[in-house]
Amino acid sequence: MTPRLVVVEIEKFFSTRAWFWTALLLAVVAAGAVAVMGLAAPYSDPPLPGIDTDQGVRAAVGVTALLAAVPALVGVVGMTSEYQHQTITPAFLAVPRRSPVVVAKVVAYAVIGAGYGVVAAAMVAASLAGSALVLDVPLGAGAPEIAGMLLRVVMAMTVYTMIGVGVGALVRHQLTAIAVLGGALYFLDQVLLVVPGVNTVYPYLPGGATAALTNFTLLAEQAGSETGLAMPDLLSPGAGAAVLAGYALAAVAVAVVLPVRRDVV
Amino acid sequence: MERTGVTIRVEGLTKHFGKVAAVQDLSFTAGPGVITGFLGPNGSGKTTTLRCLLGLVRPTGGEAVIGGRPYARLADPLRTAGASLEASNFHPARSGRAHLRIQCRTAGIPQSRVDDVLELTGLTDAANRATRGYSLGMRQRLNLATALLGDPSVLVLDEPSNGLDPAGIAWLRGFLRRLADEGRTVLVSSHILSEVQQTVDRVVVVYRGRGVAEGTLGELDPEGEGLERVFLRLTSDTPAEPAARTSGREDR
Repeated sequence: MTPRLVVVEIEKFFSTRAWFWTALLLAVVAAGAVAVMGLAAPYSDPPLPGIDTDQGVRAAVGVTALLAAVPALVGVVGMTSEYQHQTITPAFLAVPRRSPVVVAKVVAYAVIGAGYGVVAAAMVAASLAGSALVLDVPLGAGAPEIAGMLLRVVMAMTVYTMIGVGVGALVRHQLTAIAVLGGALYFLDQVLLVVPGVNTVYPYLPGGATAALTNFTLLAEQAGSETGLAMPDLLSPGAGAAVLAGYALAAVAVAVVLPVRRDVV
Repeated sequence: MERTGVTIRVEGLTKHFGKVAAVQDLSFTAGPGVITGFLGPNGSGKTTTLRCLLGLVRPTGGEAVIGGRPYARLADPLRTAGASLEASNFHPARSGRAHLRIQCRTAGIPQSRVDDVLELTGLTDAANRATRGYSLGMRQRLNLATALLGDPSVLVLDEPSNGLDPAGIAWLRGFLRRLADEGRTVLVSSHILSEVQQTVDRVVVVYRGRGVAEGTLGELDPEGEGLERVFLRLTSDTPAEPAARTSGREDR
């Protein structure tokens, strides 16, 4: 790996304004989602656990992991825009062995994904603290415990961003890649969750593994109570992390192997 | 400037995309100090050939080498060969300067070259604007600037005059001549003959993926009837008078 090429990828990322708007979007939605869950919990029907309980804090943080689609899309765009604007051509002319360029891109986007995770985590922490202040209740979890939960959100966002780069390398066409990724993360996971028999794979899908990692069971419980289906047990947090790491590795393999082998026309 | 000349050699080059044979058994050379025109109608395999030469497309057979090596094996590719391919390989939201800076860093070329090539191609005033606002002519200049970043001995330019106005074409002609006079190898593809005739020293003509002629302008057009007529005869399916046939045409 060439550090110079990682710097180039970071420079490309900051050379347009998209990073700012996507980070802002993530920050606002993360803070908003946590505030809504925190402030509305006492009034919701069916009742949500309040943020003065451990479960309530966990749910509020866990819901943020669902926003990992934002950095995932950043990863998709980071890869597909190279093909859309044909900037992949000068990059491969400068480094005709190609693999150093794509490896650097995956590394850079892992760092960038972690950055988005930190932004989201900071907003979640602030929003939790603010909600507790407004409701005048103590948070149901201590600072170290909350920090641990937030770290898992950062991990999930890092992996999702790498998956995004892999999907981008696989599909190349920007809008198609966005549709594929969005559909997989927000539709397929949830649909499979409520299909009897098939939902046994849910724990191994990115969404299920993320839910296991962040110990966020609300979605599965909700689906179970509405459909009356038996929900598959989520993996342990450690196994969820391992499954996510597997997806990250697969994404890296796709993101490196395909661009290196394919003709650039 | 003293340069050791670097020769482009294409030997038996073949490229199939699925069932389509884009290039078939094409051979030619382009040497230092001269401008070689690479001519053919649209879809005749010019771009595919140049992309094979630059390591972007993997040939099905044969080889295309620069100074005896495939592009991907050059020790310092951008300092050996500079290329300008399609009309735009820049991100529309990036400035011309940012594009060049990124390319410099990718290739490990000092950033001081950015101002040099902006100056050379007359883009200094537009350098800080996003490329989405560039005219086609400015894009071609930015392409040329990108190709020149490594101060290479070989230049491979695909249709560099596309989108240039008459003043731009005249400028390009003088510019390419100067580069060739410095001892560089200049390979320029085009399908616009009137302009090529005034620019190039040698031509390579391709038609339907095969080489149909190669030589100096004097060799290909001894009667002085004009490159356009020679070209049309070489690249039409109706058989021309046998006397006018040039070596290398074996396909039909």
